[in-house]
Amino acid sequence: MTFEDALQQALNGLSFGALLFILAAGLSLIFGMMDVVNLAHGAFYMLGAYVALSVTRATGSFWIALIVAPLALAAFGLIIEPLLLRRLRGRHLDQVLITIGLSLVIADFIRLRDDWGWGATVRSLPFPAGLDRSIQIAGSDYPTYRLFVIAFSAALAFLLYVLHRRTRLGALVRAGVGDAQMLSALGVDTDRLFTLTFAVGAGLAGLAGVVAAPVFGLQPGMDIDALIYSLIVVVVGGLGSLSGAIAGSAVVGPADTFGKVLFPQFALALIFAIMALVLLFRPTGLLGRVRIGR
Amino acid sequence: MSRPALARAAIVAVAWLALATFPEWSQFWESSRFATGIIRQILIFAIFASSLDLLVGYAGLPSLGHAAFFGGGAYAAAIAAQRLGTDELVVSLGAGILGAALLALAVGFLAVRAVGIFFLMLTLALAQMVFAIAFQATDLTGGSNGFSAVHRPILFGIDFNAAGNLYLLVCVTFLLVLLLLWRITTSSYGRALVGVRENERRMRALGYDTRTLKLSAFVLAGAIAGVAGALSSYEFRFVSPNDVALSTSVTGFVMVLIGGAGTLFGPVLGAAVVLLIERVLPSQLPAQTVLGIVFILFVVFARQGIAGALRRMVRA
Repeated sequence: MTFEDALQQALNGLSFGALLFILAAGLSLIFGMMDVVNLAHGAFYMLGAYVALSVTRATGSFWIALIVAPLALAAFGLIIEPLLLRRLRGRHLDQVLITIGLSLVIADFIRLRDDWGWGATVRSLPFPAGLDRSIQIAGSDYPTYRLFVIAFSAALAFLLYVLHRRTRLGALVRAGVGDAQMLSALGVDTDRLFTLTFAVGAGLAGLAGVVAAPVFGLQPGMDIDALIYSLIVVVVGGLGSLSGAIAGSAVVGPADTFGKVLFPQFALALIFAIMALVLLFRPTGLLGRVRIGR
Repeated sequence: MSRPALARAAIVAVAWLALATFPEWSQFWESSRFATGIIRQILIFAIFASSLDLLVGYAGLPSLGHAAFFGGGAYAAAIAAQRLGTDELVVSLGAGILGAALLALAVGFLAVRAVGIFFLMLTLALAQMVFAIAFQATDLTGGSNGFSAVHRPILFGIDFNAAGNLYLLVCVTFLLVLLLLWRITTSSYGRALVGVRENERRMRALGYDTRTLKLSAFVLAGAIAGVAGALSSYEFRFVSPNDVALSTSVTGFVMVLIGGAGTLFGPVLGAAVVLLIERVLPSQLPAQTVLGIVFILFVVFARQGIAGALRRMVRA
């Protein structure tokens, strides 16, 4: 592998990691607050991508889709949480099981909506105008959209950090992660806080779907791929914290990209091996606060 | 044998005989052949669901990757029969059981370290790796095409290519598996598994090696799922990555939950309900959506499943 190739793959790994961060942040946020691993997270991601496809077709603008699709998914989360999860409060395993049922329904819904231009065939979303070309980096062409993903994700991480650390809402979320029961005893409406958290998590999944769509396309099965990758990221990085999501995506993104180039047959085995090692030697994940294993 | 136990054994024997002779006594019904085929598939999936229930219902290990061992068994059976060029049942079924058990040992070694929801996450992720292997290792597994035209096996000269013989093979295997599971769950070993489910820390304090207990249950359940996988390869004469896919794991979980986790006959009922939804429901209805909604309704309103609801009715 030449230096140029290595640089190119490093950038690819970084942009994949950046995407994984957007995806895993939502999963981690919901878990931190509600102790629920939302297994419909991949389905939300998929739904976000397909909503973006429809919005882009209707308005001709990717940027409108980038705003509308996450909002649509957040609104969906606002409906789903009180409808399905609230009545199972305290029964964590059942809440997780419900999200599996939900993901089945969503994936099937998308598969059957041929009339909306969704359906079971592979769809693609064009790169947004202005980001559809390449620029020269170290003597080779590199697509600008992938650089945009890196910058966008970094900006999002910064925004989430500020929200988390510097606002009243962030303080409430941190308190809820620490001890939701005590927070409720102090007079905070935790039901509303849970709903809001779930909505933000769903919105982040939708956002990841929009950002990923021009690179990876839209097809059945993308929900499961997204779910598996985000699960690996949170296991490696640590669940329930923003820094864990960053650490996990920073490891898994590049590892997966270089794995696919260096040993194409064993790319998946590589990231699963990393996950296994983390689990054996650091059961909380690299930066997590929750023990996943014993 | 006490009297109630004797009565129960008699009921089970009569019920099984009725089931095993179904093709004979229903032969004047115009849909007899169709119904026999569906019963065969229900029994195969009942074996699969029952093996999962050993984990979910008894040991309290919510595995969302059980299809890895169902599909692993199916692949191992088909590969062994093809490579060794034999149709002997002992070879392909043996390979199916062994392959699934070894796979379960590897997956379980990692997964039993995680607790609760994390166990579920890990089994899901590791099973997805098995799926990726089935998909990518084209030389071994045939890739996305899988194996088609799998030979149906023979045993002592009995050819299971005949539909009637295959039905009997499935019925007998089903009975043996249920008897084995009944023996396991009522033994002190089965009690210890329930103890791990209820309070693992206390079991450890009592001197049980709970990790080994959980791993052994995981391997046992994997091996039984391998039996179901091998039978499914004979039934459909086809093995594909779909047998290892997440949707198959979820289907198994739905069967256990609908029927009633932690009961011997619950998963059998669940398998019947799910397959009837899939096979008999008008095909224009979206099966996955129906399955998902039924699943959600059962989690919210009937967490004990059909078996639990029946039990409550009997008590009331």
